Amino acid sequence: MKENPQKKMKKSLMASLIRMRSLNVFFIFLILFLVFWFLSPGHRFASRENLDVFLAFGAEFNIIALAVGMLMISGEFDLSVGSILVFCSFTFLKLFDSGVHIVLAAILTLGIGTLIGLGHGYITVKTGIPSFITTLGAMMFWRGVTLFWSQGFQKPFESAEFPAFNSAFTGTVAGIVPVQLLWFIGITLVIAFIMHYHKYGNRIFATGDNKLAAKAMGINTDRVKMACFAVVGLICSLSAILQIVRVGTFSSRAGDGWELKAIAASVVGGTALTGGIGSIVGIFWGALIISVIENGLVVMRIPYAWTFTVFGVVIVSSVIISNIIEQRRIEFGTR
Amino acid sequence: MGKPNSKTGRPGPSSTKGNDGLLVRMEDIDKWFGKVCALRGVDLEVKEGEILGLVGDNGAGKSTLIKILSGFHPADKGEIYFEGKRVHIRSPKDAKKLGIETVYQEQALAPHVSIARNIFMGREPSRFLGFMNRKMMDRESLNTLLNIGLSLPDSEAVVETLSGGQRQGVAIARVIYFKAKLVILDEPTIALSVKESRQVMEFITQLKAEGISVVFITHNLYHAFQIAERFVILAHGEKVADVGRDETSIDHLSQFIISGRDSNDLKK
Repeated sequence: MKENPQKKMKKSLMASLIRMRSLNVFFIFLILFLVFWFLSPGHRFASRENLDVFLAFGAEFNIIALAVGMLMISGEFDLSVGSILVFCSFTFLKLFDSGVHIVLAAILTLGIGTLIGLGHGYITVKTGIPSFITTLGAMMFWRGVTLFWSQGFQKPFESAEFPAFNSAFTGTVAGIVPVQLLWFIGITLVIAFIMHYHKYGNRIFATGDNKLAAKAMGINTDRVKMACFAVVGLICSLSAILQIVRVGTFSSRAGDGWELKAIAASVVGGTALTGGIGSIVGIFWGALIISVIENGLVVMRIPYAWTFTVFGVVIVSSVIISNIIEQRRIEFGTR
Repeated sequence: MGKPNSKTGRPGPSSTKGNDGLLVRMEDIDKWFGKVCALRGVDLEVKEGEILGLVGDNGAGKSTLIKILSGFHPADKGEIYFEGKRVHIRSPKDAKKLGIETVYQEQALAPHVSIARNIFMGREPSRFLGFMNRKMMDRESLNTLLNIGLSLPDSEAVVETLSGGQRQGVAIARVIYFKAKLVILDEPTIALSVKESRQVMEFITQLKAEGISVVFITHNLYHAFQIAERFVILAHGEKVADVGRDETSIDHLSQFIISGRDSNDLKK
């Protein structure tokens, strides 16, 4: 107890720095950012145009990664995000084409996305099969339904007559900030406040960390998990709208391969596969790391195939690093 | 001698007859798992402010009995009275509402969540819109821990960094803070060192000092004998003894446990 107060403070500062898992992830992002900046021909990576692309295009994926990370903290997986996205994208297009007002069409699409997520959650918790399986099936199911329904064609989406709607989902604010970036930051803040400051966040962590303890404390863990699945569905449908409004075309390949990238972003951001561990700020940077690799390699004119190789290396090495730091964290925690 | 309370069971419709110092009375409890009978006609009484040792070999039905009381399993037959009133405990939430809290060996805490968040898990105090009052959570958790003689520096430390005894302390602080009337401890010393076990026993006596009744499940008679005032022994799903500490000894109790239901004859 009678320790030198200054030493104690220094110790606790060090401890709290190590405790901030998200900081490590931020540094990995920063390093990648700087590497791409210096190595890209003509430093093109940091050009206005490219940063716009990186932030606007990336946000569609990034918000999904946040929701997936939240779900993973509750102890479940979702492999169906890309398929929910493509299904919602087509639903939105169909509703709009059939004459439904664009705002109503958007609201309906968000509702449908939420219901799909809720359905995945319901099946998972009521039958007790692993969500890995439920959502693997759902991934194939929704992609298949969309392919069948759209016949696999690309279809134009023309919303120029609704400039106010468009400007809420694409373009820039004050001529500089991509509006998608604001969505990304806004959703990060909402989810982060819920996860780390709200009582429901505490229940999500508890459910993922020790379901039996959470149940014994009177937490309805089934409902907690279903709510997280529903959030994933909601965010996927939002991402679908952001994407189709920006691109102006429906493609039946939209969201293809995002499910594993979203899990990768969460894991790189410090989320445990077993649930109960993770930080939203960490996932925020984790998502940006995945986006920055994808974008940076394109800018450096490295063949697309290499992206996957680099993903592989970054995912494995960052998890190894964060495991080592986690170990230190526990050592610091004891005293 | 030996069985002072075992015959008070089944006095007909006596639920109106006050509770004369009794906190819980379980009567004639049966529980089947498929074709396996886990409990048969078990009565259990817990007095106010007493430490009851519930002992028996593995598979004797201790955990099943306690899970019925804490709302995890419904009983197939039998009645439960709490503070003299007939109650139906259908979920852990129901049990909690009555003031029955259970501390399980590995199920009490979320290891990667902080001490404060564990203590308030599921019952987080909030200020507005459900946002947690973290200052209060931190302050109250450290105070309550200090009350049971556990001085921890940081309520934000994750439970994983604590020793086994300290973890039990956190779980026990939780039930004290939420003013439990009955605390069920399921093998609280099973994975602990001698020193840590002693620490946990001190926490348990602290519970009694707070006026809380304790059911202490264990198959370590030496631990039970140090603190329990009365012992109920189960064997093969039936109650084989119900004795006060002054009427028995460790040897006597272990005979009951080993010889199971036949020990009644052994006594006569």
